[in-house]
Amino acid sequence: MTAYLRFELRRLIRDPRVIVFTVVLPVLIYFISTGSAGAADRIGSVQVAAYLMVSMAAYGALVGVMSVGIGVANERATGWLRQLRISPVTPGQVVAVKALLASIMAIPSVAAVGVIAATRNGVELSAPQWVALVGLLWLGSLPFAALGLALGFSMPPNLIQPASMLGVFGLAFLGGLFVPVEAMPAALAKIATWLPSNRYAELGWSVAGDKAPPLGGVAILVGWAVVFGGLAALMYRRSAAQK
Amino acid sequence: MTDAVRLTSVAKNYGAVRAVDGVDLSIARGQTVALLGPNGAGKSTTISMILGLLTPSAGTVEVFGTSPADAVRAGRVGAMLQESGFPASATVRELVQLARALYRDPLPLDEIMATADVASIADRRSDKLSGGQSQRLRFAFALAGNPELLILDEPTAALDVESRQQFWAAMRRYAATGRTVLFATHYLEEADDFADRVIVIARGRVVADGSGAEIKKLAGGRTVSFDRAGQDADAFTALPGVVSAQARGERVLLRCDDSDVTVRALFEGGHRVANLEVTGAGLEEAFLTLTAKTELEPAR
Repeated sequence: MTAYLRFELRRLIRDPRVIVFTVVLPVLIYFISTGSAGAADRIGSVQVAAYLMVSMAAYGALVGVMSVGIGVANERATGWLRQLRISPVTPGQVVAVKALLASIMAIPSVAAVGVIAATRNGVELSAPQWVALVGLLWLGSLPFAALGLALGFSMPPNLIQPASMLGVFGLAFLGGLFVPVEAMPAALAKIATWLPSNRYAELGWSVAGDKAPPLGGVAILVGWAVVFGGLAALMYRRSAAQK
Repeated sequence: MTDAVRLTSVAKNYGAVRAVDGVDLSIARGQTVALLGPNGAGKSTTISMILGLLTPSAGTVEVFGTSPADAVRAGRVGAMLQESGFPASATVRELVQLARALYRDPLPLDEIMATADVASIADRRSDKLSGGQSQRLRFAFALAGNPELLILDEPTAALDVESRQQFWAAMRRYAATGRTVLFATHYLEEADDFADRVIVIARGRVVADGSGAEIKKLAGGRTVSFDRAGQDADAFTALPGVVSAQARGERVLLRCDDSDVTVRALFEGGHRVANLEVTGAGLEEAFLTLTAKTELEPAR
């Protein structure tokens, strides 16, 4: 299994274009959206520049994490997953490696937006806060890794791209990553608080506000991880049953 | 010693279609066996079940006395499938190295590269390979783990004549080390040349099982038919050149390995042979005739 993980990691590093794409858009939007924010402006108790840093880092993380589904759909089509199924690597190991790779794809965007926020926008977090931010946004990306895998195991290659884009944008928008929940109409704001994307970013917003993430939010995120994980397992079994 | 492969009353349905219809077969260790049959006969489905990629609708499949999944997980099986492929961003060498790392007791890298003839394309990316080169990579991946059972589904489908010969030479060397090899093909020549034993599958059933020479005799012959006119088909089985005789409707059908001799004997023996017809049979037809015995009404 470690050999397979190493193999996949090497492929990931070999093609950094995917990583670049997850980083460019969030950094750009962060540049534009924080242009007019003053140092004293706040959303809730968090400085605007820090709040939007988390929003954009989370958005980029979603793009990166869900991109694993695109790879899976293509590998299904080319027969690579089939080849692995007739090797000693178990399906569970393949899925675990894919989920791990997916979650790693959350980190570049968090790092890039974080660096911009710290150097250009004067966002000041303590070292433990930075560590907590990266760590939580990495761990918290697991439900999206599962969702990306579920899509990858169920969609043909020509549909996976639009499907995951719709998933990412839908979750990011409705979860309050583009428009803060505080600025949403009441009905939408209510929906937002039940979405994994909102609860995921909440991990980061809490760290930026120097608070512990609320347990209710963590529970919702874990719930989604279970739902998407189950969905991914179901879709995997369905795709494996078709020859 | 347990058999390498054992199928007991195995059936597989796709919806209403019965792809495999009650197959019983066992393959002893060390045998090189060809699964011969026309397209759509159920060869690939049978192989998929032996590899644990498909679950039988009925019956049991055992590989080295365990479930196919366990045998694959233990690294005892290597396979080369038609629909398998490789990720685009990896080179041939990386893929072979990965395959070696996945198995407990792999072959040396150089030996794999030489046997599968991929040394010259080692640094090429897997998406930049020709059909024949991809096929060689599949072979390299299948044999990297030094598996006790090697399964090949139509291994020469994408190869030209020269690579085909090279492939079989490599395969023969591998089989000579005492490994069990099972390969599917729809070429009788290939089955006859490279297998100790040929199992013929048609319409999801085993219709013949024997040495290459025996199968060739059955398949290579012709059918002589004429009006029955009340005669018993069994009366013709003893004629020279006749392999089997049967009555079908108002006709007697004789499967012959030498129809010229048979026809001469028919006339010289004074039999009533109105509307005589001699037809050659394609492989599929030849084997369907074999099965027809059990499926059509028996001679009265």
